[in-house]
Amino acid sequence: MNLQIDNLFRDGAPTAVKIAEFIQNNRFPMVEPGHVTFIFQGKADEVNLRRWISGLSTAQSMLALEGTDLWALRMELPDKSRFEYKFETIRGGQRDLVLDKLNKVVAHDPFGANSVCQGYGYTRPFWTLHDEESRKGTLTGFQMHSTVFESRRDIQVYLPARFRRSRSYPLLVVHDGPDYLQYADFKTVLDNLIHRLEIPPMIVAMTQSPDRLVEYTGDRRHARFIGEELLQEMNSKFPLVDSNSGRGLMGASLGGVATLHTARHYPNRFGQLLLQSGSFAFSDLGQHQKGPIFDPVVKFVNEYRKNPFALAEKIYMSCGIYESLIYENRSLVPLLQAQGMQVRFEEARDAHNWENWRDRLRPGLSWLFPGPLWMVYE
Amino acid sequence: MVMQILLGPQNPVPNLRQAIEAINADGPIVVITAGWRDSEGEIDEMREIAGRPLEDLKLYQRAEEVFAHEPALRELQRERQDKLTALQRLYRIRLAPTLTAARKLMRTRAEPELLRLEQRAAISQLRALDTHHLRRIRSIHQNFNRRRAGLDIPRALVQRDEVHRLVENAGLVLIAGGHVAVLLNRIRLFGLDQLLAQKPVIAWSAGAMAMTDRIVLFHHSAPQGKRDAELLDAGLGIVHRRVLLPHASTRLDWSNRRRMALFSRRFSPAQCCTLDNGSMIQLDAEQVTDVSDSYIVARTGRKKPLTKT
Repeated sequence: MNLQIDNLFRDGAPTAVKIAEFIQNNRFPMVEPGHVTFIFQGKADEVNLRRWISGLSTAQSMLALEGTDLWALRMELPDKSRFEYKFETIRGGQRDLVLDKLNKVVAHDPFGANSVCQGYGYTRPFWTLHDEESRKGTLTGFQMHSTVFESRRDIQVYLPARFRRSRSYPLLVVHDGPDYLQYADFKTVLDNLIHRLEIPPMIVAMTQSPDRLVEYTGDRRHARFIGEELLQEMNSKFPLVDSNSGRGLMGASLGGVATLHTARHYPNRFGQLLLQSGSFAFSDLGQHQKGPIFDPVVKFVNEYRKNPFALAEKIYMSCGIYESLIYENRSLVPLLQAQGMQVRFEEARDAHNWENWRDRLRPGLSWLFPGPLWMVYE
Repeated sequence: MVMQILLGPQNPVPNLRQAIEAINADGPIVVITAGWRDSEGEIDEMREIAGRPLEDLKLYQRAEEVFAHEPALRELQRERQDKLTALQRLYRIRLAPTLTAARKLMRTRAEPELLRLEQRAAISQLRALDTHHLRRIRSIHQNFNRRRAGLDIPRALVQRDEVHRLVENAGLVLIAGGHVAVLLNRIRLFGLDQLLAQKPVIAWSAGAMAMTDRIVLFHHSAPQGKRDAELLDAGLGIVHRRVLLPHASTRLDWSNRRRMALFSRRFSPAQCCTLDNGSMIQLDAEQVTDVSDSYIVARTGRKKPLTKT
C-alpha cells in the first residue's frame, strides 16, 4: 500500500482524529511516480473504482481498511496520465455512482461530471487558463435555415479581439462547438493562442446537431449542410480568407467522424482538419461489434479505406491511449499519410473526454494555422 | 560615414540608451514602431529609456489611412500580399524535402570524400532554392512598384512626403521590433529604403532584421514543434551579408549541432549573428566597429563570438 497509509496504520487501526488528520494533510487521490492511490471514506458493503480506461476492467474493487470507514486502491499509472472516474458504492444491494468527495478536480461533460485523476507530473496547460492579459474575442450567433435538413440551425460564432471587417480571417468550423466552449474552455484557449500569436486571429463557427447519432455518423445531408450551406452563410456574413488552406473543420468523437465524412464529400474544401478521438469504426472481416449506430460509420470508413484519396492539405489527429479508439486512430494514420497529405498524430496518456481534447488544442491549432509568432521578433 | 547600431530585444534590460549615446547624433530622433501594429506609437517607456524627445512616424496608422482613401493602392497591396503568401507556400513545398535530404546527408556515414561532395551539393541546392525564392519575391515587388507608379494616389503622396520630411530632418532613426513582415512592408510603402541608408539608425530585433538584405524566419521550438528556417523576403539592404537572429538563445536549438551547422552553411557566406537581450553590433561602412554579446553561428554549429573587423 501507499506510504502514508502504511504510516496511518503503523500502530494498528487509527482513531477518528488520526483519520481526520490524514484526510486533512493529504491530497487525493495520492499520486507518486508511477502510481496513484484512491481513498473513499464512508460506510458501504463494497466500493469499486469505476474508470473509463480501455484495456482495464471498468470496475476495480477497493480494499476496506480494517477498523475504519476507509477504502483504498493503489494502482499503477504512468506519469503525466489523466483519466476520469467515479466511486461505485454498494450498500444493501443498492449501487450508487458518486464523485470522489476528497478530490476537488472535476470534469464536466454533457452527461454530468466526473472526478479527475491527474497522474504524477500532469499539470493543466497554462494556455487553457484565463489570462488577464489576453485580449478577449466575442461570441455572437445567428440562426440559419438548412434546406437539406429542412430545419433551423443555431450557429455560434467566435470573433477575435479587434475584429475588423476590412480584414480577411481564416475560418474554423467546429462540430459540437457549444460543448467545446462549455467543457474544453475553447474560448479561453482561442483568446490565449491568438494573443500569444500562436494562431492567427480567426473566425470560428460552432455547430451543434440536434441528432448527432444520425447526422454525425456518415449522413450526406450533414456533409452538404457543412460543406455548402454553412460555408455560404458564413461567407455572406463575415470577411473570410478565400482559400482552402484558410478553412478548417474539426470535431471530437463522432464529431471527428462527421469531419472526415464531410471532407470526403468535399475534398480540399477545408484545407485543415483537426480530428480528436475520432470514432472511426471499421471492420476488416465480418461484422463489427460496435452496435447498429455504428453501421453507417463502418460503411463509410470501410469505403474510404478501400478507395482512399487526399482530403485536405493537413490533418492533425489526436487520441488518448486509454481509449479503445486508439486502435482505429492509429490504423488510419498511415492510410491518410499515404495519400500525400501532411498528417500529424499525437497520442496522449488520457481517455475519451473533453479535457483530453482541450489539452491537445494548442499543438493541433498552432500546427494547422500557424500564427504570426513566427514573424514576430519583439 | 553613416553608422548603424543593431540591438537585441529590449526586454528585460534595455541597452537603447547606451546605443543612442554611442551614436551621438545631432537633431531630432524619429521612431518607427510599425512592427507593433495596433500598438504602434505607444512609446512612453521608450522615451523614458532614451532620455530624449522621440517622434513616432506612425507608418502603420498612416498606411491604414492611405488604404482607406486609396482603394486602388489597397487592392494592389492586397494582390501583392496574396501573391507573396502563395509563393511562400510553394517555396515551403520545395524547401521541406531539400532540407530533409541535406539533414540526412549531414548525419549519414559513408566514405568521406564521397560524402563531402554530396553534402556540398545538397547545401548548394538549398542555397539555389533560397536564391530562386528571393529572385521571385523581388520580381513581385518590382511589378508592384511599376504598377503603383501608374496610380493616381494623391493621399498616399502627401503622407509619403510628410514622412520623408520628418526623416530628412532627423538626426537619428530608431526602428523597433515586432512583426517583421508588417514593419518591412510599411517602410517600403513609404519609400524609406534609400533615405534610411543615409541616416544613422539604431534598430533592434525585427527592426534589425529589416535592415539586412535577407530576412530569415526561424523558431526551433515553436508551439507546433520544430519548424524549418525559411527565407521571408529581401530586407532594405542597408546591412549586407548578415543574417540577424533575435532571441537566438531561446528560438534556436543550440543542442543540435548538426542542425545549427547546416543553418550556418546554408546562409554562408552571410554571417548568422545572434541578437539577444544585451547584444549590440555597431557598424560603420559595413565594418563592425564595436560589439557586445553577439555571436555568430560557426560552420561547426557552435557559437563563436562576433568580433570587430
